[in-house]
Amino acid sequence: METVAFYSYKGGVGRSLLLANAAQFLATLGKRVVALDFDFEAPGLHYKFSGVDRQDIAGGAVPYLLATATGAEAPPALKAHSLSLAVASGEGGRLQLIPAGPAPSEQYWAALKQLGERLRLNDPSGNGFMAVLDLQARIRDEMRPDYLLIDARTGVTELGGLTTTILADTVVCLFAPNQESLDGTLKIVEALKAAPRLDRQKPVRVVPVLSRATGGAPDDEAFTSGVQRLLELSDRSKDKSKRDQTGLLMLPHDETFGNGERLVGIQLEATVFSPLFKAYLGLFRKLFP
Amino acid sequence: MNAEALNTLVTGAIWRAEQLEEKDVPAVAHAWLEVSVLEERLAQVLPHSKGEGRIARRGAVRAALKANDYDRARLLAEMYGAEKGASRALKAALREMLEENARQAASRYPNAARHYNVREVRDVARHFHEGGAFGLAA
Repeated sequence: METVAFYSYKGGVGRSLLLANAAQFLATLGKRVVALDFDFEAPGLHYKFSGVDRQDIAGGAVPYLLATATGAEAPPALKAHSLSLAVASGEGGRLQLIPAGPAPSEQYWAALKQLGERLRLNDPSGNGFMAVLDLQARIRDEMRPDYLLIDARTGVTELGGLTTTILADTVVCLFAPNQESLDGTLKIVEALKAAPRLDRQKPVRVVPVLSRATGGAPDDEAFTSGVQRLLELSDRSKDKSKRDQTGLLMLPHDETFGNGERLVGIQLEATVFSPLFKAYLGLFRKLFP
Repeated sequence: MNAEALNTLVTGAIWRAEQLEEKDVPAVAHAWLEVSVLEERLAQVLPHSKGEGRIARRGAVRAALKANDYDRARLLAEMYGAEKGASRALKAALREMLEENARQAASRYPNAARHYNVREVRDVARHFHEGGAFGLAA
């Protein structure tokens, strides 16, 4: 199982939408995919997939972790906290969603409040880490996906940090074409590269993606040198000649899909000529070779 | 503060922590930390050669573990184990407490424990506890 976290230092860069499209894309290629919403404070991944009846959502990552934190005698069944979604095409493809929970609802916010009281992710005892690693291990062992795609919380949060530094094999870092977004992203990528990993984990792979790009990346010196540094940090090859020459991956601003927040993967007829659709395909080729 | 006064405080703090634990109050960890701090103070005024001194040392470590402060428990255990003339029995008891706690964590999260070593996870957790999210404050 490959775990890919989708992260952005600032919000509004199309992170969840990209994840939903990647999930649908992989499933149509016959891959087994689990999409996990770890954006607990602003959950919405379940809005990005078509065919999700939001009234039917009772479980999710927050209720699951709360049940384990309160010491439920038997661990909750993952089935009660996940939804099977339709896959547009592709033999053997499977797409399952673990939403954050039945959000937005009073019940969800109450559960999130209790979880915050019960489970401290930065607990030096490691209990917070163990609880989240346990969920990931159960997904790996019981749901057996090829890919686990995690929507990580924006900004600097404990769960966002844990998701990107420890859970992820690959972190897709989206940023907007402005210095504020780039500078924050650079700090995060530097931290990701310096963060300790658990035994047997490979160094994290970072894929920076410039999003909402209208007319390419800004060409001022500060932005250009920042992007250069970002690309150097994210390239795993020590041998310069073997380094990726693709350059910065960019997702253009697309009014149709950016505003509509729709899946492009299953809207093939309508989107085949969309620049965003083409950019998604280019990114997916790099992300999932 | 003398040993008698500290003993009274420890007894009261343990009673309070147990009551909170029984009622499943989230703040119970703070109550156990208070017990651990008082037991540590008691250990400072009672030598390990005395039975009460050894009890205080074990109590400080046990209460830190109950407070989920594994780091503190480990540091205390190391400190008491390194005291001049500390008995083998005391050292073994302190070590066993830490190991039992790690076994409990592994049984509580068996799926994670199949893939990762609890101690190693704790080391990484401590890194992020000290350095904040992403380790940015390190």
